[in-house]
Amino acid sequence: MRIFSSLRSVVSALFHRSRMDEEMEEELRAHIQDRADDLERSGLPRAEAERRARLEFGGYQKFKEEIRETRGAHFLETLIQDLRFGLRMLRKSPGFTAIAVLTLALGIGANTAIFTIANGLMLRTLPVRDPGQLVELLHHYPGEPEPGFNGFSWDAYRIIRDSNHVFSDLIVGGVNFFTVSADNLQPQTVFGGGIGGNFFEALGVQAAAGRLIGPEDVHTGDPASVAVVSWSFWKSRFDLDPGIIGKKIVVSDAPITIIGVAQRGFYGLSHEAQQDIWLPISLGPSPGWGFGLLARLKPGVSLQQARAEMAVLFQTVVNAPDAGPFVKEMKLRIEPAGNGVMTPLSQMLSTPLRVLMATVGLLLLLACANLAGLLLARGASRRHEMAVRVCLGAGRTRLLRQMLAESLLLSLLGCIVGIFLAYFATHALIRVFASGRVISGLPVHFEVLTNPDAHVLLFSLAIALVTGLLCGAAPAVSASKTQPSSALQQASRIGESKSRRLFGKSLVASQVALSLVLVSSAAVFVEYLSQLRNRDLGFERNNLLLVTLDFAHSGYDDAQLPRLSQELVMRLDAIPDVRSATFSDMSPMQGPGASSFAFAEGHPEKQTQASINYVAPDYFKTYGTPFLAGRDFSTRDEAGSAVAIINEAAAHDSFGNENPIGKHITLSHVTLTKGDKTFEVIGVVADAKYNDLQQAAPPTIYADLLQQSFIGSQLAIRTRIDSRGIASAVRQTEGDLLKTVPIVRIMTMNQQMDSSIVPQRLIAMISTAFGGLGALLAVIGLYGLLAYTVASRTHEIGVRMALGAAGIDVLRMVLRDALWMVCAGLAIGAPLAFWGKRVAAGLIPDLPVGSFLPFVVAAAMMIAVGLIAAYLPARRAMRVDPMVALRYQ
Amino acid sequence: MAEHAQILPGNLDLLILKAVSLGPLYGYGILLRIEQISRGALLIEQGALYPALFRLVRQGLLKAHWDTSENNRRTKFYELTAAGRKRLREEEDGWNRLVAAIASALKAQPEGT
Repeated sequence: MRIFSSLRSVVSALFHRSRMDEEMEEELRAHIQDRADDLERSGLPRAEAERRARLEFGGYQKFKEEIRETRGAHFLETLIQDLRFGLRMLRKSPGFTAIAVLTLALGIGANTAIFTIANGLMLRTLPVRDPGQLVELLHHYPGEPEPGFNGFSWDAYRIIRDSNHVFSDLIVGGVNFFTVSADNLQPQTVFGGGIGGNFFEALGVQAAAGRLIGPEDVHTGDPASVAVVSWSFWKSRFDLDPGIIGKKIVVSDAPITIIGVAQRGFYGLSHEAQQDIWLPISLGPSPGWGFGLLARLKPGVSLQQARAEMAVLFQTVVNAPDAGPFVKEMKLRIEPAGNGVMTPLSQMLSTPLRVLMATVGLLLLLACANLAGLLLARGASRRHEMAVRVCLGAGRTRLLRQMLAESLLLSLLGCIVGIFLAYFATHALIRVFASGRVISGLPVHFEVLTNPDAHVLLFSLAIALVTGLLCGAAPAVSASKTQPSSALQQASRIGESKSRRLFGKSLVASQVALSLVLVSSAAVFVEYLSQLRNRDLGFERNNLLLVTLDFAHSGYDDAQLPRLSQELVMRLDAIPDVRSATFSDMSPMQGPGASSFAFAEGHPEKQTQASINYVAPDYFKTYGTPFLAGRDFSTRDEAGSAVAIINEAAAHDSFGNENPIGKHITLSHVTLTKGDKTFEVIGVVADAKYNDLQQAAPPTIYADLLQQSFIGSQLAIRTRIDSRGIASAVRQTEGDLLKTVPIVRIMTMNQQMDSSIVPQRLIAMISTAFGGLGALLAVIGLYGLLAYTVASRTHEIGVRMALGAAGIDVLRMVLRDALWMVCAGLAIGAPLAFWGKRVAAGLIPDLPVGSFLPFVVAAAMMIAVGLIAAYLPARRAMRVDPMVALRYQ
Repeated sequence: MAEHAQILPGNLDLLILKAVSLGPLYGYGILLRIEQISRGALLIEQGALYPALFRLVRQGLLKAHWDTSENNRRTKFYELTAAGRKRLREEEDGWNRLVAAIASALKAQPEGT
């Protein structure tokens, strides 16, 4: 009832506002007239009586205001009034409004952009039953990227399934990609998964058509013959054809029958790698580590309990008698998977996102300090207005609310513009993500990362409101303290209140401190990136073209291919501007390669982990890796005994100071030969990076591609000119000779290197942008605040000059003040910046944190900015005619 | 003329309720009546009256209607509602208890005299 009546009074107050005002007016008028009657009766003339009555009643408007405040509609009514007035004030000073809105938009936009991606990548929950209970099992091998890979052996699966007490379901299922084709369907790469029989049941997924894969489909040892597709695949590829059940398709070269469609909206285990097809996995003893594992925690079991038990259980796997040397060093990780399992994309972005979230937070703080400064300066210029309002009966809370309404209005405008900026920023970022080597060419749903959802909008709105309140608070409080008398006399011209001046100064200092942190960390990341790109690679990066071929469906038999590839190399060599060409199994920075344990002849105790590559003759000549000893492979080696070339690191690790030429080296567990293999060392080459720019070149063993009858899919061509210039000639030559072997991709070595360091490039690129923005904001903020401090001292400066100070003294004084503030900021910012670097170094190994240069550059920049920002207003102050300044009041 | 006493905040409401309990009154009349029944000891600031009246109306303790005063002016008359009457009784009791308690406290003599 109460709610209704007050609601009614709000509504009626809003609609009948003018009538209520009139009534109030009439009642108060009657009161004054009554009083005047009484006074008249006591002997005063009517006119005097009325005047006296009005005087006695006091501030008529003030009481009206108080009465209004007791009315129900007051809050809403004044809010609308405040906002409307605020808008008018903002329109009146478009320059201030534009700068304030832009400042906020940059701060809010940067935060929204990063949050949008973080939200899309790791905050949304999967469309499965009870996603909170879902965990993912990962194995981690020392030296490999964190947190690890989801792949387990049959034994590991069996032991975990049979002996754990913490999981209610152990689900076989991971994210892979397949090529799907059918009679009238172009081959298409899609994400999918090989799954166990309980996958759909344990995730709580129903069938939209047909039936789902169950335990009866999972046959030990049989390759999959059936598949379930996603609803969106059914729609986009089959147009919801009801005849899909029983349809024959080809999945990665195997004939498959579709038996069902999963329920609408189910897209598997990851938001960005949405799965379209699921195949039953052959659940039985198998040599590899190919089982992806998920599990559902039993009710009441915490993640920590599960981790503790599984760590113990995994020891059984690791210590099994037949476990290889790799397995012995493995660790098990258990990570929550309710927001999506780890994918190459989320792995690639997790570090950059963490670094960037911290940076955008700083940027927002800086924007806040900036806006607070702008509002403070503006508040000073509006003091007269405030005084008039106080005299006219505005209450303190009313002024406070008015000022807050204005700053909130600003932050809402900033929020809207910021969301727009964020939209473009995320799309720009996505283009960088897409160039990453681990995901290029895969059907990643980037739109999941860029589409702002309700969470994102709420997030932006929330930071906008907080920013508005934070920035608006101080100026609003100071405005509400306006004393009518002093302000009306323009006494404010004489000087600033101490606290207000201190607040302004501390704003300058904090802006300097924040931008120092931003600029110096940006400089660190840029330096890091340039170091990465210019490290000693062990090969020549420029003028090198890399071509990836796909021999899978060529139709040639294995005996023909080595000849054909040699023929291709010869024809490529004949292209003008080509120095040399070669084949290999891997090209540097292409991605994860092969590795094994190497045993050197005469040193059975020495076991070195070595990376492996299979290369054709002229590989080292083409890549520009110098020989230190011995010779290159040649076509004569084909028929002879197995030979290998090793790099310096491998020579040192395996043979110490001995000459390795002519000695033998044995590789165990070679992935492709599945057994030990012994090679005679015929050459030693300089160390070269293998697949990771950050890590030192690993010990590497190069085997002869032709001798081992391998087909190298990686073609490398050294050119005399910019290698992009010969791309079309290469296509032409390759197409003429190998019509059935498509070129998967052509890129320069530099591009391939860049695609391997997307996270580092992202951090450097974005933090540079943020550092630049930070510096820009600091310039604007410093200029505004210093101009304001100097302007508020105009009178003081006038007095000084009247007393004989020279212009240069005034200039010096103002500049010294500014320098002081900047230095205070630097003093605060320096430890922050160093601390920030330490934090960043914890996230990114071998960050060049020892370098002082970025810091010095940033500090010098801040000082320059501060002096320029102070010089302009100081020059204006210097030119002030003392008489004018004194008369100003 | 008696010396003016300070009106504590909150007591104004009680006085208004009391004044109006004797019959419907308009704003200026309420002032006069309070002066009269306090024998001139309590003077109400004129402007403070109206916010208080609005507040009491909003709380449902008073209701208002338009009528013509004895000075022949159209103005708003206030009278007690049932809730207002109840509140007045409670406030009177509370006030009396408070006054009695303070009075007895003030009457206390040092022990042993």
